[in-house]
Amino acid sequence: MALPLPPGLTPSEVGFLCEMEHVTVIPRQTLDGLELLGGPTGALKPPFPTPLPLWLALLLKKQRRANITPPPWLSVDALTQILDFETDERTAELFSPSPNLPPATTTAPLEGDPYLAHDSLELSAPFLKDAATARAQADALPYHWLEIGHLLITHAPDDFEDLDAVRKLLRDLREVRMSKLRKGFEVLDAGGGVKMNGVGGMEIAEVRGFVGGVVDGLRKLNRSREESRKERETEERENGFGSSSYRDDEDEDML
Amino acid sequence: MASYYSPTAILTDAQKAPATFSLAVPALSHSPLNNNSGTPITPATTLDLPLWLAEMLAVSRPSGPASAPLATLDMPSALGPKVMNALTADATSVELRQQAQWFYGLGERMLELFEDEEMGAVLLTTFKQRALEIADKAQNTRTAQQGGDSGDFMSGLDETERQLFRAAHDGTHAVKRWFEATSRG
Repeated sequence: MALPLPPGLTPSEVGFLCEMEHVTVIPRQTLDGLELLGGPTGALKPPFPTPLPLWLALLLKKQRRANITPPPWLSVDALTQILDFETDERTAELFSPSPNLPPATTTAPLEGDPYLAHDSLELSAPFLKDAATARAQADALPYHWLEIGHLLITHAPDDFEDLDAVRKLLRDLREVRMSKLRKGFEVLDAGGGVKMNGVGGMEIAEVRGFVGGVVDGLRKLNRSREESRKERETEERENGFGSSSYRDDEDEDML
Repeated sequence: MASYYSPTAILTDAQKAPATFSLAVPALSHSPLNNNSGTPITPATTLDLPLWLAEMLAVSRPSGPASAPLATLDMPSALGPKVMNALTADATSVELRQQAQWFYGLGERMLELFEDEEMGAVLLTTFKQRALEIADKAQNTRTAQQGGDSGDFMSGLDETERQLFRAAHDGTHAVKRWFEATSRG
């Protein structure tokens, strides 16, 4: 019997996981390195910036023991640039791309595609390092952009130069991207998909239930048609007169 | 067959479809006219039978594969040409719930039994168009609860669509709740 939990991560779980991301902290007090489950943290020596997990950084911030440096993409300039990309006519179909992947370290089975190697340990979207530290890429939204942006704005408001502008830009970005996702629903199909490159974790968690339900419903309605098509194809193959032109017509019908 | 344990599948199977008997069955009629008195069912009687029974009667051929089936299954009126035309005209204005509580489940079962490409296509586009409408309505639940324009649409959703609405609404709601919970500090 099915587990009553919905498949996939819920928004609150995504929000919890985002607190594992590292942010850059400027300590006001010294603190020795801590041995945490997620790995040791560096010793805090004011005023040297140190990367810390977000939850610890927020804790220190609350106790006024540290300041948090917002990541470069959470600045007015960067957010304006990303918003321009999102709303530009030429790129209106796309989500702004996620940060660049680090250079691959394993050798590729296919030329230039090391991510397919079995022994590859290449990191991608939610596991990238430095997605929210001061060394983060300025012109791309990382996987947890919405959550980190929200947490930093609400809990470290005095670390921003222009808080209201950042908050407004974040809200605009969220709305633009949600409407794009909604546009993506229009092309959902039994076998089709929405291109979701660059979509953040929270956004995925938000629409997962709905998109899954729609695709499942379409799959069920399409099943008998799909089965009869498959039967016809095997029949043709067995009889040996499967004319390719006929099958081409079929494929076009399916589109 | 759908999942054995799924109440959805059981309820879908309990929906009725008209079946016309092609042989006489003595003492089985439950016609309301004669008060369940057990008169025989004569050939060419049409009864609304639950899908699980009607399907079995229509498929089974008791005296060899060449013989006629016990009953022939007809398309239920919920999937009749009238509804199909209405759906082609404007999918979002039809109250599917009035037609059948598990409209798409019924359609799915009938598509398995009848090869009807056209009906399949209509159902697919209907589902897609209505799903979009549901996504929009789920963003703004106040209108859905208070009725008004969208109230009609909401009460016309079939059971699958209600689950979709719930999923869409739950997603948005859970995100909102997380934002509120983390704002408090």
